[in-house]
Amino acid sequence: MNHNPLILIVEDDVSICNFIAAVLSSNQYHLIKAETGKTAISLAASHCPDLILLDLGLPDMDGIDVLKSLREWSGVPIIIVSARGHEREKVEALDLGADDYITKPFGTSELLARIRTALRHSQKPFTGASRRDKITLGELEIDIEKRLVTINGREVHLTPIEYRMILLLSQNMGKVLTYDNIIREIWGPYTNEIQTLRVNMANIRRKLEENPAEPKYIVTEVGVGYRMVEEV
Amino acid sequence: MDQEKKQNPIGVRKKGRLKIFLGYAAGVGKTYSMLDNGHEKLKSGVDTVVGYVDQGSSQETLSLLEKLPILPLKSISHGKLQRREFDVDAALERKPELILVDDLAYTNPPEMRNLKRYQDIEELLNAGIDVYTTLNIQNIESLSGIVQSIIKVSPGRTIPDYIFDQADMIETVDFAPEELMKRLEEGKICRHAKSGNTIKFIFTKENLRLLRELTMRKAADRLSYDNQRGVPTGDSLVRTKFLVVISDGVPSSKSIRWAAKAAEVFHASWATVYVDSMRRNHETEVQEQLDLARKLGSETVRLNGHDAAAVIAEYARVSGISNIVIGKVRNRKSIKKLFDMELEDELFALLPNVELHIIPESFPMKHRKLRKLKLTENVVLSWGDTIKTLGTLALATLLSKGINTFIYDDQNVITVYILSVMIISRITSGYFYGMAASILSVLLFNFFFTIPYYTFAALQPEYPVTFMIMFIAAFLISTLTMQIKTQVKISAEREHRTKLLYEINKKLLQTRGLENIVKLTSEYITQIFDRAVVMYTEDPVNPASGYYMESSTDPYTAQLRREEEREAAHWVYLNRKKAGAGTETLMNAGAHYMPILSQGKSLGVIGISCANGKLDQNSIMFLRMLVSQVAMAVERQFLSDEQRRILLDSETEKMRSNLLRAISHDIRTPLTGILGASSVILEAGENLDKITHDQLLSNIKEDSQWLIRMVENLLSVTRINEGTMNVAKSPEAVEEIAAEAVSHVRKRISDRKITVKVPDELLMVPMDGMLIEQVLINLLENAIKHSSEESTVELEVCSKDQFAVFEVRDFGNGISEGDLGNLFDTRLPGNGRSTDSSRGMGIGLSICRSIIKAHGGKMEAANRATGGAVFRFFLPLEGAQDES
Repeated sequence: MNHNPLILIVEDDVSICNFIAAVLSSNQYHLIKAETGKTAISLAASHCPDLILLDLGLPDMDGIDVLKSLREWSGVPIIIVSARGHEREKVEALDLGADDYITKPFGTSELLARIRTALRHSQKPFTGASRRDKITLGELEIDIEKRLVTINGREVHLTPIEYRMILLLSQNMGKVLTYDNIIREIWGPYTNEIQTLRVNMANIRRKLEENPAEPKYIVTEVGVGYRMVEEV
Repeated sequence: MDQEKKQNPIGVRKKGRLKIFLGYAAGVGKTYSMLDNGHEKLKSGVDTVVGYVDQGSSQETLSLLEKLPILPLKSISHGKLQRREFDVDAALERKPELILVDDLAYTNPPEMRNLKRYQDIEELLNAGIDVYTTLNIQNIESLSGIVQSIIKVSPGRTIPDYIFDQADMIETVDFAPEELMKRLEEGKICRHAKSGNTIKFIFTKENLRLLRELTMRKAADRLSYDNQRGVPTGDSLVRTKFLVVISDGVPSSKSIRWAAKAAEVFHASWATVYVDSMRRNHETEVQEQLDLARKLGSETVRLNGHDAAAVIAEYARVSGISNIVIGKVRNRKSIKKLFDMELEDELFALLPNVELHIIPESFPMKHRKLRKLKLTENVVLSWGDTIKTLGTLALATLLSKGINTFIYDDQNVITVYILSVMIISRITSGYFYGMAASILSVLLFNFFFTIPYYTFAALQPEYPVTFMIMFIAAFLISTLTMQIKTQVKISAEREHRTKLLYEINKKLLQTRGLENIVKLTSEYITQIFDRAVVMYTEDPVNPASGYYMESSTDPYTAQLRREEEREAAHWVYLNRKKAGAGTETLMNAGAHYMPILSQGKSLGVIGISCANGKLDQNSIMFLRMLVSQVAMAVERQFLSDEQRRILLDSETEKMRSNLLRAISHDIRTPLTGILGASSVILEAGENLDKITHDQLLSNIKEDSQWLIRMVENLLSVTRINEGTMNVAKSPEAVEEIAAEAVSHVRKRISDRKITVKVPDELLMVPMDGMLIEQVLINLLENAIKHSSEESTVELEVCSKDQFAVFEVRDFGNGISEGDLGNLFDTRLPGNGRSTDSSRGMGIGLSICRSIIKAHGGKMEAANRATGGAVFRFFLPLEGAQDES
């Protein structure tokens, strides 16, 4: 860790900006701030940050448009900061290439966890860590080579679709995947299998979780999608 | 913009302007001038299109066409012939600023929507398109009589006068008759066969001069009328108002034309009246005449009453009639005339101040034929009636014989026979038996009771006179009885209809809800007319609209569902005129469509299937009355719906303002706390000990969290649609929602035990997931707050009947009796208990209930027998009856 990641905060509200800045600098991140969409784009181009925290409500332009123009040339991880109750906006942002989102109001630990996850995922392609043979999460173990899922050493019988869903979520551990995203990966484009997806997820939960109403491994983001937690 | 134009062809947009190029004969150059004018317009930048030009026009005319944009014609197969006709729909679609359409008086082939071209042009004008068109003088309805007398040939097709009167501009195209004759000889005019016939008759120098004079006069009249418009006319002129009386069995077309002309000269208004009397024989003729009057620009009225003169007099007084016009046929005598006073004499007596004009009418041949036909219709022969007649006469003869054995008395015998004739007229149908009985009774009397007996000879000289008197008496009695009977029948029929209308009206008054009105009306119409019916209460262009009902003998609703029918209904809705089978517009439609109008606004359309034949005039009249009743009911319904909507709006508004007041009050408290604590920290600085400092900070945190919860609740209210109070639902897995809610609560309150139970099978419920999550969060936090720290809070979801049941249970003290009733009400500050102290969930719970209600579910709260409270709400499952 000789290199401390640089984070660009795009947020027009001064007090929130101060609060985030305080949290991040106390955790040894470098940071730059932008209050408008235009400065955000130009700063992103000139400073090449390692991660961008993007608020969707900006004074000069729509945050979604900022996201679109950034994604035209940059693969930098972007975490959307959005207000609660706007699932459609979140889904749109995720489908447009945002890496994750965090809902206002949020706590410091939550923010730091999301930033860590996003940074790790962005580094993987270079470190080659994404192709692990085994994924372990609490009592859950996924042996990719053998295509075997075990809980507490006991084998879980999964259908091929269920296995592919677990695999997809585990490869994106900590990140939220939208319903559309999962459906596209599993069933291919141009299908609308939202009901099938729900049913499959319900079955997976009944196989993996002790109480499907208190899931430990895969949580739901209502109206958005599913996320496999990083630590139990 | 385009959309708006299409949707609103009438309404707000201004009407198009009509310019008529008027000529006195074919070949004077009307079409040429029209096209020439069109050219100028096109050059000055007006979007001009040629809609239709007669291909039989002269070469130089057709050459003008080359430089103008031409609308493609519509090809239709007319019998074996292919015909190309003006395409009014294409014109409406294209929507130019100006369109040129030749020959205003043209009659369309039956495949077209409108019978007459002037109807096409009216549609164009209504759509805001300016129209140039051409017209020959003889085709104006009010002049057709005169023209007929000049050229001895009926002009055939005519246009109603109001079209001509309402035209914005008239341009007279003149050409010297001598030149015209020359052109004709050169074969420059009218190469098409249609006019060939008329040509021989029209094109004499004399005729052309007369027609030319007529044209000039008409144009001059129009000019002086235009000049006078706006200038106040004299008192005497204002007061002039003509009234044409159509009498039964008297053709009144001459009177109508006369009145039209007179009204034009005096610039007076005029009306035509017909009194529905007992006899219905002339219904079609009367209708024809009323139609004619309407075409000539008259107001037409049908009145009811048995004393025609009194009714007319009353009408004349009420509407300020100054002149009455009556047609009269000279040599028409009937026995009825012996008893009736002439109508004009009666009117003369009743209205001494009104001028009476009597116009001699001639009986055209066709009417006489019709009357004869009607007479034979009245002769109905049946075995039953024949036996009744003969039996009654035989009885009368026997009775007379009996009387005669005791006393010889002629008078009694005659009375008995007359009585028998009366009875026969009463019990048989038609005139025939009464008349036959009159003759037979005289013969029988002669045969049995005059000396010499049993012969038809009569010796005594006074007998022929007796026979004569007896016959006349018997005949008159039979005729009168018959008339009374007919009258009774008609009044019974009228009574029946009135009763029906009354009944419908009563039922409609009792009916609530548009659907019920539609259903009731359709039921009555199918019952009365025994035909399939369709009813729209909105613009029929919407494919989901329309209520169909079939009758027992007319199961043709499938036909009414066709796209063409919907378009016909749409036309009726837009143009606010009846159309379809039996009218002059869209004659090929399978049904007769009538608009439901109220104060000139279309409320809907009623269509009656004509698969079993067209409707007769009586039915249409009755239907019209019925429709006006329905219009009232529909309008009443619309008004009450509107009222209810306004009420709902104000309710919503009230709820909102209550909420706002309650919230601003609630919010002030934590804000004060935050402000206070933070200022203390900032100002006291180093002097503050560590414990107080941390205490203040955690107070700030708690207050902020409370504020966030409040704001989240408020946000959820905004997700409920305004007005409809509904939410956008999509199927969600209840376990996911429950899990989310629980994890959300755990994030805030980590030290409490919460157990969750969901059904083993996946349960999908249509809902707004975020909102239900919010409800669960509220309920869980509420339960946590109202129970001790060590106790558990339970959340259980199960499905029961057609509902998903969510239950939140705690083991606290339960709900006090006083609170159970108004737990979910929005509590107002100062209204009973203050919400301050407890920072209660009053608003939270009332929001919960609003959310559940918006989902079509219900919510309840109760105390458990084992202690603690339970909050329960029900959400309808997929496919369940929506309760909202």
